[in-house]
Amino acid sequence: MNRGPFIFIGVLIIVSLSWAVTLVKPIQEGGNLSPIGKGADRVPTLVEGLALRGREVYQEQGCVNCHTQQTIAVTGTDIERGWGDRQSMPLDYIDQSPVFTGYNRVGPDLANVGTRRTEAGWHYLHFYNPEITSPGSNMPPFAFLFEKRKIVGEASNRALDLPEGFRVEEGYEIVPSADADALVAYMLALSQAYEIEEAPTPEKLAYK
Amino acid sequence: MNLICNLFSSIFPSLEGDGSQREREQTIDSSMRFAVLGLIKGSVFWLLVASLLGLIVSVKLHSPTYLAEYGWLTYGKAYPAFWNALVYGWLFNAGLACVAWIIARLGGRPSGNSAVLAISTGAWNLAVIIGLFGIFKGDQNPYRMLEFPTYAAPFLFAAFIGLGIWILLAFKARAYRSSFASQWYALAGVFCFVWIYTVAQVMIFCMPAQGVFQSVIAAWFGGNLLGLVVAPFAFATIYYLIPKALGQHIVGYRQSGIAFWSWILFSSAAGLASLVNGPFPAWIASVGVVASFGLFLPLSVFTMQFLSSLFSSFSKIWDTLSVRYVFYAVVAFIVATVLTILGALREVQEMTQFSQYNDGVRYLFLVGFAGMAFTGMVYYILPRLLNKELPNPSLADLQFWVQGLGIFLVTVSLVYGGWAHGALLNGSDADTIAILKSTDTYLFLTTIGSVMFAIGNFAYAVSFVWILLSPRTEKEQSADLIEPAPELEYTHS
Repeated sequence: MNRGPFIFIGVLIIVSLSWAVTLVKPIQEGGNLSPIGKGADRVPTLVEGLALRGREVYQEQGCVNCHTQQTIAVTGTDIERGWGDRQSMPLDYIDQSPVFTGYNRVGPDLANVGTRRTEAGWHYLHFYNPEITSPGSNMPPFAFLFEKRKIVGEASNRALDLPEGFRVEEGYEIVPSADADALVAYMLALSQAYEIEEAPTPEKLAYK
Repeated sequence: MNLICNLFSSIFPSLEGDGSQREREQTIDSSMRFAVLGLIKGSVFWLLVASLLGLIVSVKLHSPTYLAEYGWLTYGKAYPAFWNALVYGWLFNAGLACVAWIIARLGGRPSGNSAVLAISTGAWNLAVIIGLFGIFKGDQNPYRMLEFPTYAAPFLFAAFIGLGIWILLAFKARAYRSSFASQWYALAGVFCFVWIYTVAQVMIFCMPAQGVFQSVIAAWFGGNLLGLVVAPFAFATIYYLIPKALGQHIVGYRQSGIAFWSWILFSSAAGLASLVNGPFPAWIASVGVVASFGLFLPLSVFTMQFLSSLFSSFSKIWDTLSVRYVFYAVVAFIVATVLTILGALREVQEMTQFSQYNDGVRYLFLVGFAGMAFTGMVYYILPRLLNKELPNPSLADLQFWVQGLGIFLVTVSLVYGGWAHGALLNGSDADTIAILKSTDTYLFLTTIGSVMFAIGNFAYAVSFVWILLSPRTEKEQSADLIEPAPELEYTHS
């Protein structure tokens, strides 16, 4: 081992082997999935319009550092928690780049948050100050995605309806920014509530 | 044979014949003083940045309103900024400084080209600044250790090529044909970073793989960055420091080859174990689990070599600053690797998946093992590079204990708190906020640990600036302070 080229070639062979076996091979085998069905029946459902911009906000704010987007059915209690009905599958993610599968669940999983929390108003309040909707949460407030402005003439119909204790001083209102609108649209669009035949569900696993 | 060698060396005279050993060392040192000091300066700067960000991140985790009005510093941005400043800022600068110096010293001949090293160092630090700025601006990527925006990647890559070329040239210019384990690890780390960074950038961003396979590539890259780049640099310093600073040859040095190749082999897939149960082909995660278990082989060789060598001169460990750091690094390495292996077990993953457990292990591996090894090495390099004694050894003493305790606290609270959090999150349907509240104690402990670590880092920075700026004493001006270090045990195979 006294020569540089020997070490270089040895290391190159080992790392390339790992690359070929664990990355290239599975991508060739399973990395060419296509969607099933068309239009409203398309699987997976497309995230479109404002929600796509919301996806960018999600990435910019680094939400992935606290939230996963993968339901796990083969183990754990995700299904009992109501975070999904079935295991997330590679097919769910084929339209996404980058993917937000995530690493850490400081907060709950968001793969199906759009089916779980269907009210836009809840999300606006939650982003403005999580203490309003989830007291005790350690999610930071995203008040910087909202605008505090003086009411001139009539109050905006888009202003947040803040509960007692969180209201701003008289004559001011809190209005969501375009980014907040997009992020909420994305939250509402996040859903894997369609069937994938081969996806493990608690029922299928029980028969095993 | 001797006659032929003598004849040969009279025709091609090499540097070995000229002057004393120490004079040659000084020539090498002076040829690269500016560049290596530049790397060390960068590392100290980024260490301070990282400890500040780490403090902010850990406070935000239990007090979410802290600094919440600054959109650019929300937790989702501060967290990746912290890890990237830690790895690409601190550990890469420090590790490359150690490795460059070791390669030049072991080669026994000044290689020149120090301008390449200095310019690449500047470029690297510029790239890290661009990357961090990108994260704060909102251009981050959602993959661990690849969060730097895509426009920072070419700069980072080009700068590393410069640094790597210098290290290769220095290796090539060596006067001694035989090579020592430190040199293998240094070269392996350089090759691996170039290769895995190319793979990750091309397969995720240039020609993106479909959907979840991007996560698979990111997991592969993340594991390899730790196992095949940062860890080899740290091994290189440990293999160098034990003989040189402790005066004790590596016990069982013959087994180094086995440790080296098995470490590269098993590390290269161990990172994939984190993908279990997710929406990925299940067998990829299984490969990762098997590879993680394979790490037992190199781990046992390393443990045998390092601990036996250290214990055989145990009383000297606490008297020698550098060796004390190496001792901490070795223990941290053993604990972190055992936790990595156990953490790959399916039963354990059911508890710890998606919890802070993995962050704790990663922190111990990066900071406790690699970081402490590099710090020990920097304390060995500085007096030799500057021909000055450490102006205040008790400050460095304080630094060791405070940093050591801080790292211990952060690790214990993240690992144990993560375990407690994950066990409830994955094993019950209790309210997620209630679960979070039950782990508040650990989150507070993390903050205390981060504060201690930051204090230690501040002491380090003071020590560093002090030795840089202090004028040489008369004794230091007139004489060489450095006692000759013992020769390393070389293989002659």
